[in-house]
Amino acid sequence: MSTKDGNNRIELLQGTLDLLILRTLQRGPVHGHAIAKAIERNSEDVLQVEQGSLYPALHRLIKRRWISVEEGVSENNRRAKYYSLTAKGRKQLDVETTKWDKLAQAIARILRPAEQDGKP
Amino acid sequence: MTRRQKALENLNREINDHIEQDTQDHIARGMTPEEARRAALSAFGNVGLVKEEIRAVWIPIWIDQIFQDARYGVRMIRQNPGFSVIVILTLALGIGMNTAVFSVFNAVLLRPIQYPNPERLVSLSTQDIVFNSEAVAKADWMDWKDQASSFERMVGYGPSDQTIATGDDVTRARVMVVSEDFWEVSGARPVLGRLPQIDETNTLLLSHKFFEQQFHSDPNVIGRTIDIDGQQVVISGVLPEQFRFQLSPPVFPGFDSVSDVAAYRPMLHLPEQRVRSQNGVAINLVVAKLKPGVSIDRARTELKAIRTRIAEANPKWFTNQKQLSVLPLREKLVGDARQALWVLMGAVAFVLLIACATIANLLLARSSTRQREIAIRISLGAGRFRVLRQFLVESTLLALLGGAAGVLFARWGLAIVLHLIPQAIPRLTEATIDGRALTFALSTSLFTAFFFGLSPAIALWNVNVHNLLKDGARTFSATSGSLQVRRLLVVVELALAVILLSGAGLMVKSFWRMNAHGPAFDPEHILVMKLQFSGLQYREMARQRAYVDELLRKIPSIPGVQAATVTSPGARIFLFVEGVSVPGAAPPQAAVFNATSAALTRVMGLRLVEGRWMTDGEPAPVAIINESIARTVFDGRNPIGMRVRLPGRPPSMATVVGVVADLKYSKLDAKPEPEVYVPYAHTPALGRLTVAVRTVGDPLASAPSILKTISSIDKTQAVFDVQTMAEAQADSIAPRRFSLFLLGIFAFTALLLALIGIYGVIAYSVRQRTHEIGIRMALGAKSGEVVRMMVRQGIGIALAGIIIGLAAAFAMTRFMGSLLYDVEPTDIETFAAVAIGLGITALIAALVPAFKAVRIDPINALRYE
Repeated sequence: MSTKDGNNRIELLQGTLDLLILRTLQRGPVHGHAIAKAIERNSEDVLQVEQGSLYPALHRLIKRRWISVEEGVSENNRRAKYYSLTAKGRKQLDVETTKWDKLAQAIARILRPAEQDGKP
Repeated sequence: MTRRQKALENLNREINDHIEQDTQDHIARGMTPEEARRAALSAFGNVGLVKEEIRAVWIPIWIDQIFQDARYGVRMIRQNPGFSVIVILTLALGIGMNTAVFSVFNAVLLRPIQYPNPERLVSLSTQDIVFNSEAVAKADWMDWKDQASSFERMVGYGPSDQTIATGDDVTRARVMVVSEDFWEVSGARPVLGRLPQIDETNTLLLSHKFFEQQFHSDPNVIGRTIDIDGQQVVISGVLPEQFRFQLSPPVFPGFDSVSDVAAYRPMLHLPEQRVRSQNGVAINLVVAKLKPGVSIDRARTELKAIRTRIAEANPKWFTNQKQLSVLPLREKLVGDARQALWVLMGAVAFVLLIACATIANLLLARSSTRQREIAIRISLGAGRFRVLRQFLVESTLLALLGGAAGVLFARWGLAIVLHLIPQAIPRLTEATIDGRALTFALSTSLFTAFFFGLSPAIALWNVNVHNLLKDGARTFSATSGSLQVRRLLVVVELALAVILLSGAGLMVKSFWRMNAHGPAFDPEHILVMKLQFSGLQYREMARQRAYVDELLRKIPSIPGVQAATVTSPGARIFLFVEGVSVPGAAPPQAAVFNATSAALTRVMGLRLVEGRWMTDGEPAPVAIINESIARTVFDGRNPIGMRVRLPGRPPSMATVVGVVADLKYSKLDAKPEPEVYVPYAHTPALGRLTVAVRTVGDPLASAPSILKTISSIDKTQAVFDVQTMAEAQADSIAPRRFSLFLLGIFAFTALLLALIGIYGVIAYSVRQRTHEIGIRMALGAKSGEVVRMMVRQGIGIALAGIIIGLAAAFAMTRFMGSLLYDVEPTDIETFAAVAIGLGITALIAALVPAFKAVRIDPINALRYE
């Protein structure tokens, strides 16, 4: 996870990649390359995922049984592995999202206390 | 293809596809293929690292690292072959000895009897203190069998050595006479032929070994009639190869060893055997099988009640001197061997501990040369636990190799022991390296790995990475902790060695006491052999006497023979002395009546104390008693001229004409027996004879001509167990020799390892202080002072080890009481000898490296590093 060109891209926090993958898979089975592209696109290219790091994360999630994998055929007619959310993963996504929201709010409150307090 | 390889291939494909697709995307956006590929690769990141990370997700990282450690360990072992071989051999020695002793322990103490429901088998016996026997009168056994309800079966059995004519060969063999219940209790099923039917008594079942040796495994022997002790019997079956006789061995006089049973014969039941008379009774041994759910206590109570009824019905017969003993068969079988085995097991465990300490010491010595390597590993980020694990994995590898070699050692060792002293312990011949012994070897290896792998790791725990890696730093200086550990290990080794040496020393002293005999008795020059009259023609005493007369006339004329005699040790019977014993009441003492000839004193070197010895051709019956009887029975009165009753019917009396010194010529570890010697011409029956011949030179060299002469008298009478008196005596103490042999080996190994340990520590400290010694010598220190300085620490270690060891030995040798003979377990002389002996050898072991220190050239020493 590194910055690519210049300072306008942000490094991912530890564990955030897992959340992003789960979120990406919410819409249905996706293969590896497509997950990387989706994350890049949806963050409007601000988040730069070093694409390789996606795979260890995928395997970690499989091991935790949050996602499952099956063989499929990609859009350009190649065999590819498709990843999809399991029921357990779906639940985990909710938990992680809530956690993330809380974290984001808490950090925002610390960084801009005045603004936060000013708005009832 | 393994699952792992397949998964890796899948992963490779996925990653390649990913990069390929990214490349295509870039090309679509207008890049050249080369640019596109470069961009895709750079977006992906480090492919190798990604794969590594994924593998770590698949397999927990520690497993991967252990494999890494193992590979590294194998490399270390191969890099130092000399060191590794020493470690593996030391371990193999320790583990091998332990596995061998364990396999004996397992066979004798742990492995159940191979008969069905062994837990229900009990040994029944009536122990007679005066006669030192534990057989059951047949009449009693038959009453028990009829009346007792606690037992499902009750086997009567008795061994006898019989002459078997197999075609043209005549051989002596142990035949077990068994009642019909034996087949049910032992669960024996013949591999050939069938079991004897009830009331079928003239049959014989062969053991597999005897079948192979004497009948060349010829299946046609079934149904063949052969001659046993002059009787015709039919071979009815052959028992399986793995079948063993596992009922308690007899302790009759004359049956000294638990040799293999060659054949089984059904027991005869004669009506007159139910009659109880004072004239002597048929006896046998009894093993019974309890009914399911019946406790041994209930069985004992019931038998006691039956015995009380028998005693009331036969007041004259029952002398109340017999004690009923009802014991689980397994306990009975092990007997005295239990303590010996526990002692040996403990001793051999000590040897293993010493071996571990030795190896830990070696590893410590080597680890000082590996400090730099370890410091580099730590500074590169290896955690201390990782380093510790590295040590443990390496030591485990060594231990497993050592364990494997140890199992080989154990097999050889066991074969040697079984070959040397098969009769040392009941069921010893059943000992094998089985699954349980292998499990034991494996767990022992892992235990040792932990023990000796941990100590260098602990000593290196506080390695100062910074100091070690400083250029030119003296690598040895940082290991004073390791030297402390090494000194401690050597103290432990010495202490353990002292315990083992004390145990072995006590046994050596016991042997010395056992073998102590007068100068005239010279067992090295006496040939003994056994002879038992067999066949109808020798039923008459006159024929037996005539045979012996001729034997004693012919043998002394053989060149090299000085004198020849026979002894026929009869059973122990009550010693009735006229005017001393109360008529009608049973006399309090029993004695062994030996029928012998005048030459006995010359053959055995028997010393006359009082009166005279017998001559050949005494006109009236005479008796010579030994000092044991003179002391106990006559109690100060002069026995000469008194009359004792001879065994046999009708009772005859013999006049005591002399007293001879006690002589232990059969069982070395027993107290001298009360013995009476009478001329063979005046005894009613001889039965079994021992022929003893004193020769000028090696008795075994004269043996062939003696045997030829004996066979020329009557070749149907087989002579057996031909050996020197010294050998016969050694056999009589086989269990003790077994214990001494093993304890001796253990103690010697322990001593050697402990000495290597003390040598190693001093040598190490000399090496460490070379620089300092150089300075001292350059400043004018005398070499004697330097030697003293180096040896002083060796003496400290030795003293600590010896003192701790003596204290521990003092506390522990009491557990070997039953292994000793005429020696106290806390014999001061032995302890002192061990302490002094070990002290001196330890001093020498310390002096050798110390003198090396003096030979150091100060110039070289100061240049050192």
